[in-house]
Amino acid sequence: MKNNTKKNIENKFEFIQLDEILKDEKFEGEAIGFFKDAMIRFRKNKASVTSFVIISFLVFMAIFGPMMNEYGFKEQNLKLTLMPARIPIIEKMGVFDGTKVMNISKDNIEGKYKGAVLQVIKEYKVKDREMATVKVDMYKYKEVKDKYFWFGTDSLGRDQWTRLWRGTRISLIISVIAMSVNIVIGVVYGAISGYYGGLVDLGMQRFIEVLNGIPFLVVIILFVLYYGPGIIPIALALCLTGWIGMSRMIRAQFYKYKGMEYVLASRTLGATDRTLIFRHILPNAFGIIITMSALAIPGAIFQESFLAYIGLGIQAPEPSIGVLLAEGQLVLLEYPHLTIFPALVISILMISFNLLGNGLRDAFDPTLRGQE
Amino acid sequence: MFRYTAQRLTLLVITLFMIISVSFFVLHSMPGSFITDPKMPKDVKKAIEDKYHLNEPMIVQYGYFLKDFSKFDFGLSIAIQPKVPVNQILATKVPVSMQLNIFSLLLSLPIAIVFGIWAALKKNKLPDHIISIMIIAFIAIPSFVFASLLQYFIAFKLGWFPIVVSTEKVLTWNKFKSIILPILALSFGSIAGVARYTRAELCEALNSEYMLLAKAKGLTQVQATTRHAMRNSFIPLANIIIPMFTGILGGSLVIEKIFSIPGMGSVMLDGINAKDYPVAMGVLFWYSLLGLLTILIVDLSYGIIDPRIRIGGRK
Repeated sequence: MKNNTKKNIENKFEFIQLDEILKDEKFEGEAIGFFKDAMIRFRKNKASVTSFVIISFLVFMAIFGPMMNEYGFKEQNLKLTLMPARIPIIEKMGVFDGTKVMNISKDNIEGKYKGAVLQVIKEYKVKDREMATVKVDMYKYKEVKDKYFWFGTDSLGRDQWTRLWRGTRISLIISVIAMSVNIVIGVVYGAISGYYGGLVDLGMQRFIEVLNGIPFLVVIILFVLYYGPGIIPIALALCLTGWIGMSRMIRAQFYKYKGMEYVLASRTLGATDRTLIFRHILPNAFGIIITMSALAIPGAIFQESFLAYIGLGIQAPEPSIGVLLAEGQLVLLEYPHLTIFPALVISILMISFNLLGNGLRDAFDPTLRGQE
Repeated sequence: MFRYTAQRLTLLVITLFMIISVSFFVLHSMPGSFITDPKMPKDVKKAIEDKYHLNEPMIVQYGYFLKDFSKFDFGLSIAIQPKVPVNQILATKVPVSMQLNIFSLLLSLPIAIVFGIWAALKKNKLPDHIISIMIIAFIAIPSFVFASLLQYFIAFKLGWFPIVVSTEKVLTWNKFKSIILPILALSFGSIAGVARYTRAELCEALNSEYMLLAKAKGLTQVQATTRHAMRNSFIPLANIIIPMFTGILGGSLVIEKIFSIPGMGSVMLDGINAKDYPVAMGVLFWYSLLGLLTILIVDLSYGIIDPRIRIGGRK
């Protein structure tokens, strides 16, 4: 049939301009697709690019940090517990030089701490006992002047540097698992609910309402208590209600696009529901999915630390940022270095991921810029 | 409106019932017993457990629970404060948490709104940039990190405030001084949240056409802003303040732990950890009820605050 028509046309019609050259200008430059367009906008946003670099650095440290010195994350050294931080090179500037300010009895300056006292800050009396506030070189006192614990050691003498980066690694793994599961469930749930609409949608939305009504904290606590504090149970506990936000976004996208002409056209041509959902409508939501995943990670890190604080952290001896913070909190007033380093890492991580997420949102959907 | 409220209330009761039932079965199927003394003879242990019906099939226990629950009676505590009614324990703990949250709300709202307005009026100028950076930092950094830092630097190093909360029952000056730090730690997050929201809403209102009209009829910038833009931008604000309250209630769990405040959070954790079922169920019930009521109030308030939003789907 087709060939016939073609032949007929070839036979009966004749092009009149075949020899003329069309005078249109040639397109210069490449075509810019959706992702390329977003990348251009993303690169202009200095804050997000910086945060991307910082995140890459932290991920690099989370992978290779624990291998950078000779100590293992569960290697205990009960002789060298709670050592202050000591970093080569920087120690010459007077910070992180392995010293600690202590209140000791004056006799001990010449007795117990002989040779290790660097400086007497002030002397005072408590009920006839002569006391002194002194700066002690803990590494000299313990006779390990050749050792460097970069971020100090914890109450079991484990190297804090190794534990911190290993903890970062575990927190990141937990949050990435939680994030991916949330995205998958959220996308599938939202797609079905939004695409089919009607009774299906009503039922699925009521289910979400019930689930959302349950205080999330309660569910997570019960879940972790029941399945035990491993990486997977904690990650899954964060997924129990975490996917709801994602599914709502995707559902809204489906409501927006499913009535459009191009979908109707495709359906008229006989496209199945699956093709329509995954090939025609879902790609519109890619920007949202990527943005949401960047913003979901800090949320998961926060919740993991939160669980660690209330005693549901990952099982010892494995560290996570939350576990380190919770352990540090116990000895905060005496040994602040155990809290400050994890607090710094978690703060930088959270701020960077938030900025990255905001940058991605602006890049994928410029109409939202400046809002919220 | 009435029909919608009634519908929602029924749904709330059903949801609450489901939550409580699920928590009941989960709690009771956890291994272990509330008796931690390993030296206790087996028959004594069994006798005590029998007294609380703990050795009967779970469905029978559930029946007993429902019978008491219908009267809002959660029974006596069995491990944390033996033989004290759960409701009495909660009555001493809930006000402590509430106090903290109300103060935090009172502190954060005015600050947040002022910051938000300031940032919106000076959009894309220096104050806006500074406030935006602050907002990002406050939203991103968890409240317990703030709590630790405040406790170390302000309470311990500078000695301005006590390190832990004083145990006085009534609100004296000493007590107030000791809860300032936890309140601060709780407030940073909500200050940032509300400020960001206010800024966004006000920015939008300032660019709207009714502002142009207001200025066209002769109002100054200040008059137009206070009389028109601010009023409109505050409408949606109510909807984030109410959930913020319960949000803080959950978030204060860790803060309560850090500053050793005897509030609801510690009771819940102790109750679950010590297998003190009555106490755990009681706290879970109140937490769930508060959470559900908040959602309901938010949904209903949409219609009251802004009459343009019709509730109940009737068009």
